[in-house]
Amino acid sequence: MQFRNSVGALTVAAVLVATTGLVQAFDDAKYPDLSGAWDRTGGAAPRFDNSKPRGLPQQAPLTPEYQKLYEASLADQAAGGQGDHTVYRCLAWGMPAMMNGYASIQIIVRPEITYMLIDDGNDSFRRIFTDGRSFPEDAEPAFTGYSIGKWLDTTGSGRFDTLEVETRDFNGPRVYDNTGLMLHPDNQSVIKERIYLDKKDPNSLHDEITVEDHALTRPWTVMKIYNRNPEPTQWREDVCVENNPHVGIGGDTYMLSADGYLMPVKKGQKPPDLRYFNGTNK
Amino acid sequence: MRYRGWIAMMTLAVGLGMLTAPVRAFDESQYPDWKGKWQRPDGERPVWVRAGDKAPLTPEYQAIFDWNVADQKAGGMGTEPSWMCLPPGMPRSMNVFEPMEIVITPATTFVLLSHIHDNRRIYTDGRDWPSEIEPSFAGYSIGRWIDTEGAGRYDTLEIETRDMKGPRAYDTSGLPLHSDNKTIVKERLYLDKNDPNLLLDEITTFDDALTRPWTVIKRYARDPNPRPIWQEAVCTENNPHIRIQNDNYYLGADGLLMPAKKGQKPPDLRYFK
Repeated sequence: MQFRNSVGALTVAAVLVATTGLVQAFDDAKYPDLSGAWDRTGGAAPRFDNSKPRGLPQQAPLTPEYQKLYEASLADQAAGGQGDHTVYRCLAWGMPAMMNGYASIQIIVRPEITYMLIDDGNDSFRRIFTDGRSFPEDAEPAFTGYSIGKWLDTTGSGRFDTLEVETRDFNGPRVYDNTGLMLHPDNQSVIKERIYLDKKDPNSLHDEITVEDHALTRPWTVMKIYNRNPEPTQWREDVCVENNPHVGIGGDTYMLSADGYLMPVKKGQKPPDLRYFNGTNK
Repeated sequence: MRYRGWIAMMTLAVGLGMLTAPVRAFDESQYPDWKGKWQRPDGERPVWVRAGDKAPLTPEYQAIFDWNVADQKAGGMGTEPSWMCLPPGMPRSMNVFEPMEIVITPATTFVLLSHIHDNRRIYTDGRDWPSEIEPSFAGYSIGRWIDTEGAGRYDTLEIETRDMKGPRAYDTSGLPLHSDNKTIVKERLYLDKNDPNLLLDEITTFDDALTRPWTVIKRYARDPNPRPIWQEAVCTENNPHIRIQNDNYYLGADGLLMPAKKGQKPPDLRYFK
């Protein structure tokens, strides 16, 4: 009789546990608090390595071929052109440049996916899949790439504190910043990240980014640091094409004047070829 | 003795319950399951006006729309702004030109659309309309979850959106919204009662180009793949349209400038010596 009563009591206990422990769809207490708006640090001009000035001082570990191309891009920009900078015509930054923080970043952590919303140009958001999947064999290339992440508890606290991410399957062309520092056009970049809050300052987010790319002589690692704005008043909508004066025609760049007419960007630049217009001089 | 045994067991049960019950910041069981990839049902085009319907435009805006139709027929783009890769804004984003994902969090419901800058934030944290809002194509959206059936779970999201900027059109026909951008859009978003994989958005547009509020119901079907494939759409990539002096031109396959209309003159090159 005592045994039956014990079994009965245990059954009740089990049911109670099952009922109360139940709707545990998402225990966000297990994840770091990444709420708010994350804004870049490192000075006014966004660049890949915030510890160094823009341009050649970035000391990107480029192959000799891509070092030459970069120097040519910088020279073209100095002469009024855009060099290899692609986003002047509002192409997406893609990875890794979208993590330069041109606009605030909002991070939404869900069990299967971590989203990063970045309202700049055409870079609307990233999906980082954390559901244990493998890289698909036939992912369609994208400027943002395809990202798979894994949450880690590096301190053994029972809570996740670090998101490790690997991103592949890119579309291009992509650059590291608006100086036109290019990634290889074979788009075989692999980008690895470790994203975590600063141990001493929970309002400082670190993203250690390592780029492996055929335009580089070795993997290039930089540390991105973002500060939290806990209560952003409004998220800025940034529409690159709105009032964008840059125009690309026939492989050359031009500008639109304030009155909407086509203008040269370089001294002595010829007008575009108008061969498709009847009875018109080039 | 028996009584003490029960007490011990019950104490154990409560203790276990407390240990296993999580710190539940977000009980998603209170919200409808809107996860996954939502897209227009097969065969449905991203248009606002269904066949046989007519937009309730004022005479002024009917004339503008008629001009737009003629201009598009002649090779122009009329009042359709998205050929320049301007965002569709509201309400047009809800044509769901590209598939949509909805991410629900307690304070905000995110509508993610990889088309042209279409993402939306719908604030459900009980806030009032801010006194100053920077206009945007997406507008500023405040939502409220409702349990319409008394089931103890939310099933409907009511949304109001204001403070839009322009130009905006309802779809590629160029059907225009008023240039004063005083549009208000109200929505009721809910799953079909008979089909949990069909999401309905009852959208009512209040706009000064209309003679009355205009309600349409949009439908979205859930992709059955639990790991749907998401495609990136970048409007400016390979976009052949170019605008110079308020005229539109094309870029040919060779990148050279081409006329968009028959007999179109080339752009004025006054700034070139």
